[in-house]
Amino acid sequence: MITEILILGTVIGGIWALVASGFSLMFGVARILNFAHGIFFVLGAYFTISLNSKLSSVLAQYSLPFSIFLSIFLVGIVGLIIYRLFLSPLKEHEIMVILVTLAIALLLEELLLMIFKDISISVPSVLHGTLSFFGIPITYTRILALFLAIALLVILELFTNKTRTGKSILATSQDKEAAMLIGIDVDRVYSMVAFISASFASLAGILYSQIYAVNPETALRVLIYAFAIVILGGLGNVRGSIVAAFIIGYLQVATSLSLGTRWSEVLAMIVIISILIIRPKGLFGVEV
Amino acid sequence: MFLLVVVVLALLGCAAPEKKEEVVKIGVIGPMETKYGLAMKRAAELAAKKINEEGGILGKTVKIVVADTKFDPDVATTEFRRLAQDEKVNIVIGGFSSGIALTMIEVMAETKTLWLGDASSPRLTAKVKEDYEHYKYFFRPIVANASTFPLDMIEMLDNYLNKEIGLNIKKVAIVRDAALWTDDVMQKFEPLLKERGFEIVMDVKVPKGTEDFSTILLEAQEKADVIVPILAHVRGDSLLKQWHDMKIKKLIAGHDLAAIDPDFWNATEGKCFGEIYTADGGAVATPINEKMIEFIDMYKKEFGKLPEAYSAYGVYDAVFLYKAAVEMASKAGESNPFDPDTLVKYLEKFNVNNPFEGVRGKIAFTSNHDLVWGDEFIRNYICQWQEGKQVILYPKNKATGQFVKPEWI
Repeated sequence: MITEILILGTVIGGIWALVASGFSLMFGVARILNFAHGIFFVLGAYFTISLNSKLSSVLAQYSLPFSIFLSIFLVGIVGLIIYRLFLSPLKEHEIMVILVTLAIALLLEELLLMIFKDISISVPSVLHGTLSFFGIPITYTRILALFLAIALLVILELFTNKTRTGKSILATSQDKEAAMLIGIDVDRVYSMVAFISASFASLAGILYSQIYAVNPETALRVLIYAFAIVILGGLGNVRGSIVAAFIIGYLQVATSLSLGTRWSEVLAMIVIISILIIRPKGLFGVEV
Repeated sequence: MFLLVVVVLALLGCAAPEKKEEVVKIGVIGPMETKYGLAMKRAAELAAKKINEEGGILGKTVKIVVADTKFDPDVATTEFRRLAQDEKVNIVIGGFSSGIALTMIEVMAETKTLWLGDASSPRLTAKVKEDYEHYKYFFRPIVANASTFPLDMIEMLDNYLNKEIGLNIKKVAIVRDAALWTDDVMQKFEPLLKERGFEIVMDVKVPKGTEDFSTILLEAQEKADVIVPILAHVRGDSLLKQWHDMKIKKLIAGHDLAAIDPDFWNATEGKCFGEIYTADGGAVATPINEKMIEFIDMYKKEFGKLPEAYSAYGVYDAVFLYKAAVEMASKAGESNPFDPDTLVKYLEKFNVNNPFEGVRGKIAFTSNHDLVWGDEFIRNYICQWQEGKQVILYPKNKATGQFVKPEWI
């Protein structure tokens, strides 16, 4: 049981880390609580499926990887457009931002339901085959998902700490006014963060739908998990979110093994409520 | 004043039966955003087209009116009422989801509308039995009563897999919809399993939208000899995909509604290979009789593909069943062969001794308007997915192929 929790929990934790890091980054840097974050997750899978079915006759075996890359980019653009059009003018009013992003999320979910119907879809696997690890079968798809998630999180860490653009993101997150004073284009930083945040979520969605499946309603579930994770890790604390993502991943698998799958969402809710009551700044949080 | 009362009474009570209709309106109701609803609508339109080409029903043109339940009981009742009162349809066909059908049946009783329903809960036809006068307008020709599913599944596990194929299945892991209808199934399935010497080692309920089955599959691999899905609201695609990818060493054999659809092979990238399932109401695109061959050909010609879901076969049969009942009533000299109360009597005449021949085989009603279950009638065939094809394994007189075991099991 312990090995199952460790193995399955690590993979799902990696996927949640991708979702939550983007969600947390957006809040940490731009103070935007994006309720449409879950929709980027499912949009990635839907874009990939649609592009792949259009391109497979032209690009043959390259169609799937190409569709995945293009989808990640396109969802990033969607995130950027939503930021530019709706959030940038409103970002000083936190409540308005929440309402607008919630409305966008519901609107896009309805659109997906209209176009693709209430059916779960799954993106074809890039890799095929299974590895047995301590008697637990792990598919190469899961290993790839974990590897990609970790690689991207490391790149994000290096990017923010080592590059000039990354440092400007960091500076803005620490003190917006001071960043503006030293000549950082804060709005450009926000746009960049919106793009990164959405594309991370879409990659997570694509990986998730290769292992499991998604349907338009998955967006809400993902949002609940993202919330539980960032609250556990401390709102706006990206590193805290990543650690919290794995904790939630392990807890999720442990719950479904011991109590049944239907309880794992309840668990996420319990985490949200109890952390908010006991330790509102999260496990590794800074004061909000 | 007296005159006013007469006019109102005439408008209220007698409008439908006394009107000399030039068209016969058939209401088709279902979740139209899903393939189950789409298949219903298309099949009904196809049936109407064929009937109209052949002169209609007693010379009247058949017209299909579509209503969308949106998988929501509130919308469903409003739409049912619209069909009955605004559209004044002669009959309603369709449904889907027992929870929703149980709310619509009240509108049916109130408006005295004939309804050939699609939803499998025993509670629906139990109402016909308990309060016949009130609920007699409900017939269920499209799917079997959920209480017969356990009979199919026990035949699958015991008679077929154990006795005929020689497997030694004893421990059963059940994965089922967290929904009303599976509770009904389990009520009968559990004692049946015990009676035949099986042991239920897992009974997991999964809510609609469940995608991650990995922990369930791993637990089942450890504890059980077979995984028995009882799924309709949760689609089996994701379960089968993970079962194949993780090379779970136990067979999947159960009642998986999604597996009946011809596109299931593609939807799972062929990972459903080896899944054994009961095909609800015999709704599998296999040439079991002339009518079925003709229907499949027409459907393919009209819509460019095989019927999307099981509901197509049942709804197509239901339209012709209605036509047959009206014609029988007319032949018997009934003054209004379209009257719902009259038609109840004639639909009931399709019983064990006088079944109606549909595309799926013989339709016969029990006294409480359920399908008669048995090898000679419409039944849930035991099928298996093999290399892109749905093969009927059992009963023997309908079998189109042999059982194949996936190599990793």
